[in-house]
Amino acid sequence: MTTLGRTAARAHVERLDRVWREPRGVLGWLTTTDHKRIGLLYFVTALAFFAAGGVEALLMRTQLIGPDRELLGPDAYNAVMTMHGVTMIFLFVIPMSTAFGTYLVPLMIGARDMAFPRLNALGYWIFLASGLFLYAGLLVGEAPDAGWFNYVPLASKTYSPGLGIDFYALGLILNSIATTAAAANFIVTIFKLRAPGMSLNRMPLFCYAFLAVSFAIVFALPPLTTALIFLELDRQLGFSFYDIAAGGEPLMWQHLFWIFGHPEVYIIILPAFGIATSIIPTFVRRRMVAFPLVALAEILVAFIGFGVWVHHMFAVGLPQVTTIYFAAASLIIVIPSGIQLFAWITTILTGTPVFKTPLLFIVGFIVTFIMGGLTGIMFAAIPFDQQAHDTYFVVAHFHYVIFGAAVFPILGGIFYWFPKVTGRMYRERAGQVSFWLTFVGTMVTFFPMHVVGLLGMPRRNYTYGADRGWTGLNLTETIGSYLLGAGLLLIVANLAWSRFRGAPAGDDPFGGDTLEWTTTSPPPPYNYPVIPKVTSPYPAWDAEDREEDARRLAAGRQVLERGHETPATTVLDADYDETLEMPAASPWPPLLALALAAVVVMLLLGHWTTAVVFAGAALAVIAAWHWKEPEAA
Amino acid sequence: MSDVGVTRTRRSLSNGAWGALLLIAAETALFGTLLGSYYYLRFNSATWPPDGVELPAVALPVALTGALVLSAPPMLLAADAARRGRRTAAWLWIGVATVLQAGYLAWQIVLYADDAATLVPTESAYASIYLTLLLVHHAHVAIGVLLDVWVLTRLAGGLTSYRQTTVRVVALYWAFVAAVGVLVVLTQVSPSL
Repeated sequence: MTTLGRTAARAHVERLDRVWREPRGVLGWLTTTDHKRIGLLYFVTALAFFAAGGVEALLMRTQLIGPDRELLGPDAYNAVMTMHGVTMIFLFVIPMSTAFGTYLVPLMIGARDMAFPRLNALGYWIFLASGLFLYAGLLVGEAPDAGWFNYVPLASKTYSPGLGIDFYALGLILNSIATTAAAANFIVTIFKLRAPGMSLNRMPLFCYAFLAVSFAIVFALPPLTTALIFLELDRQLGFSFYDIAAGGEPLMWQHLFWIFGHPEVYIIILPAFGIATSIIPTFVRRRMVAFPLVALAEILVAFIGFGVWVHHMFAVGLPQVTTIYFAAASLIIVIPSGIQLFAWITTILTGTPVFKTPLLFIVGFIVTFIMGGLTGIMFAAIPFDQQAHDTYFVVAHFHYVIFGAAVFPILGGIFYWFPKVTGRMYRERAGQVSFWLTFVGTMVTFFPMHVVGLLGMPRRNYTYGADRGWTGLNLTETIGSYLLGAGLLLIVANLAWSRFRGAPAGDDPFGGDTLEWTTTSPPPPYNYPVIPKVTSPYPAWDAEDREEDARRLAAGRQVLERGHETPATTVLDADYDETLEMPAASPWPPLLALALAAVVVMLLLGHWTTAVVFAGAALAVIAAWHWKEPEAA
Repeated sequence: MSDVGVTRTRRSLSNGAWGALLLIAAETALFGTLLGSYYYLRFNSATWPPDGVELPAVALPVALTGALVLSAPPMLLAADAARRGRRTAAWLWIGVATVLQAGYLAWQIVLYADDAATLVPTESAYASIYLTLLLVHHAHVAIGVLLDVWVLTRLAGGLTSYRQTTVRVVALYWAFVAAVGVLVVLTQVSPSL
């Protein structure tokens, strides 16, 4: 480029820097609508909850290190076990996926923000409130203790008279509002804000995964919310939804919970699949095999996931016709999962893999996902399920799926995008050591659980007798959990050190294939100084298009620098449609979250009138939020 | 109030309309769960409603729902008028709909108070789901009336592209609330049919 062109480009960049600047300091973070800062807030918060959930896991494993131990009594064990499950699912994995999506989806589609930037912020603040609310229960000694799926009648007022279950129910209602808001935002962002040229068939598979997950969330969360509302009405006002003496039906809770709960499993692992499909092409230096099939498989998994919930209830005694239908559906979902699995394996085998830390975690993920998937197929067989129900075999299965298949890609993804987010490289050797520690730790922790499960060890029990023959295996599991903990700590240490001392990473240290690798590390608040040209699903590998971007910037074309501008495009073909003016920093999202949290606290304490007052305050905040309109919408 | 022209160049649905559709999707799942729970409880009960509980009245709730359904077309007409830049027409159509909707809500509140005085949710699952289902629907109508008031106030100050989207979104919301209202009332009166 000529000197003249560089000067012109710099002038545009400086103007964008000015237009998109946010307030500094704490106030800047409180009022931010920048999807990257919100993504980082999600990341840090989810990581903190991961630490809490991890400590709870280690407490349980230490309790079970030998027979008849008394580190945790039965009540404390129930509380720790419940909080571990609730934390890992609602406060770690899903918000962590949201962190990845919030940070990366707009970057990958060449947009400058999410479709609803303030809703994005609102989702984060409500999520934070829900997490703090749940942990406030633990701090005041009223932790939920009926397991993460909280079956009635155990969770009813009669058998759980304290406030623990109310913390659970109200906290999760708050949490599901946050998750649903984020999901709706992802869908509109993906449908409407893709850079011109990124037709649906050129959209990264990562975004397909988030699209599928978001649709699943929109339809899966309301059944949970409804079940929780019924539960609170029963507990606080004496309604009879689950009270069999008054014509209610406890089994309805199980149905409603699993109508949410099984799609939830795919909500947890599909983003991880998306991360895998981002990392694999970069480190094996080739395009994904069967791109359209993988995209369809991601959507099919999310869809079929709604038709399998009863396989959590095979031991309930439902009619055989019902259970057989759900067994068949549970087997069918293996097909789209298998398509993705074979596509990953084939891509790796036919490429030239470079086994750096991110790819190692993906290989670890594939191995554990196969194992967890195979035990999943076993559970689709009703007689086996009834035999292994409520044993450690189930615990082994879902930890292979959730820890192995969801958390491993998340860890790989953290390493993969760390240089993009911070501008610095992590320590490769330490990263590889941490992979092996976590991988071996996972296997040593969870594999013996299959065996103790088949030997009959029931899950959720706070201890076991020395005469059962489970001692050695439990000791092994506990040692494995310490190894796993050490591996995770090493990851945190590596990233914390590299954040400040790591070598400069440059824009594209790995030769990535998606758009985010074409901007600076970390990306500027407006993501791209010029709206990128897209002609394939691997835009970062299209050198000519990137040169065209540079020419456009110098010429001032497609820069959109009059305000917080980003282009909106048509849903299927991504033809340019209009230029949107996006909202800038706003105080309303955290204030609205605060008002909603206050409503929930008052509902917990039974101060109905005060709750109504805070609901009125929430309405006032919503009105203030919408009073000032963007100039052109 | 003078009409103003607002140019419309957009080819696909606006972000706001997409957001409203997704809200409606989640709300569909919410009402789907509520209605599903009603029938789940009903088909697991020997008698529905339980002995000693009066059968629900049919004529009045159905007639009221008819009025709610009638309020949906004026809202859609208002959205259309706003899209064409005809602010006065839009305002009047919304005004007509608001009168119907607010009247519906007021009458339903009176009926609900009667129901709440006779049905005892602590004693029957029937009363629990009946009162909850109706309350959730009435709450949706109440929020809709608040939205009407909001849109009428905003439109009085002029028509912008943003407000066109607002009218459209509120019209979509009302179409949904009316459609669900039909399902809710049919469920409500079903034991008497």
